[in-house]
Amino acid sequence: MQYLLMASVDVNKLFIVLALVAAISVVFAAFIVLVSKLCAVPVDKKQSAIQENLAGANCGGCGYAGCSDFAKALAEGKADISSCGPTSAENKRKIAVIMGIPYSEEKKKAVVHCSGGNACSDKYEYVGAESCTVQSVFMGGRKDCSFGCIGGGTCVANCAYDALGIGGNGVAKIDDALCEACGVCVKTCPKKLIELVPYSAKIYVACSSQCKGKDVMNACKSGCIGCGICAKFCPEQAIVIENNLPVIDYSRCSGCKTCVAKCPRKCIKEF
Amino acid sequence: MAQFIMIVVSAVFINNFVVVQFLGICPFLGVSKDCKSAFGMGLAVTFVMTLTCLITYPIYTYVLVPLKIEFMEIIVFIFIIAAIVQMIEMALKRFSPTLYNAMGIYLPLITTNCAVLGVAELVIDTSQIASLIGIAAGSMNIGYAVLYGLFAGVGFTVAIVIMSGMREKIARLNIAKSLKGFPIAMITACFIAMAFYVFALI
Repeated sequence: MQYLLMASVDVNKLFIVLALVAAISVVFAAFIVLVSKLCAVPVDKKQSAIQENLAGANCGGCGYAGCSDFAKALAEGKADISSCGPTSAENKRKIAVIMGIPYSEEKKKAVVHCSGGNACSDKYEYVGAESCTVQSVFMGGRKDCSFGCIGGGTCVANCAYDALGIGGNGVAKIDDALCEACGVCVKTCPKKLIELVPYSAKIYVACSSQCKGKDVMNACKSGCIGCGICAKFCPEQAIVIENNLPVIDYSRCSGCKTCVAKCPRKCIKEF
Repeated sequence: MAQFIMIVVSAVFINNFVVVQFLGICPFLGVSKDCKSAFGMGLAVTFVMTLTCLITYPIYTYVLVPLKIEFMEIIVFIFIIAAIVQMIEMALKRFSPTLYNAMGIYLPLITTNCAVLGVAELVIDTSQIASLIGIAAGSMNIGYAVLYGLFAGVGFTVAIVIMSGMREKIARLNIAKSLKGFPIAMITACFIAMAFYVFALI
């Protein structure tokens, strides 16, 4: 007589099943152990130690696929630790100890070398994709100054830390408090306007135009005309004029801001 | 030779595991975003399917059936598949880290890929497999089983590569926002499946 959901247990069959499962387990366990011995991947202790000290932001600013890729490149000596922005100086020092190399680097911040934006006139009306990369394809962008910020926000879109925004004057603006100096914006800006400067820097040049003074005047109300007054009045001789632009040597700059006061175009700015 | 052609046509086209039998949908939708990793996934599944058939068919025929414990088939098969995948994972990590990284979570998921269990179950169902490939029910052997497993994997690869090719193109198209991503992938899969139903008429 049979009832639903009730079956008699055949003890012999039970033992056969148990024995079979046990046998298969043992055989495959042996195979897995064998394969794992044969295919053991040598774990690089250096690499994992480096990765523990990295910020783990995976921002890609260093140019590698992520922090683990960067750690691998570091361990192999292919990468430079200073190309990582987010990692704290303390941890970088630890990594340098792991790698057995000397380390000295100051924290950095990014700066946009342009103050044109709305002060710079347009050469044509642009309707289309916002992206600077797209806009710059059409005759180098809509701005009359071929060096200046287009204001399309490619850097803003690529910043992993929300440190960038387009300011009221139509130029990309960096929030120093949020910037981790990862360098992604430096690479993405089609006009190469963004640069990493020492965190202690007090002033920066807000123009990248290498044109002669008259051409700058025609295109932009706030561009540098390369007059050289800043270089002349700098008490530390920290400024030289190259390609109609002042270049600041931050190791010499004392932060007196004489240049800021003297600049007739107000294109040397304080942070 | 005729049987060989029958196996190829049956496993790859007429009874394609993904788009006709709807088995192994998880990797089919998950790893089909770009052609390269889709092909890698296809190869891994093909390899696992072939090995699975090679091991499960004799274990079923020569161990489970004589002992009259055929009801253990699913547990034993899952055991075997899990062990094979585990070994492949270790081997891949050693010999092709790139492929290993590309497949990520989907490699362990082959363990629970119903297409693999499906092919193991299909080749032991002697009467059905015999009718599918047009042989007498009694003449089924391990050779046919392994061949069927191999070409079932090839069928999976063909389907997933077609799918990834379509998805790569669709990713560049301007489509309605509500359909972007997964929904359009489902619709694509539907049309690929409809296209494959043509083979059922053969």
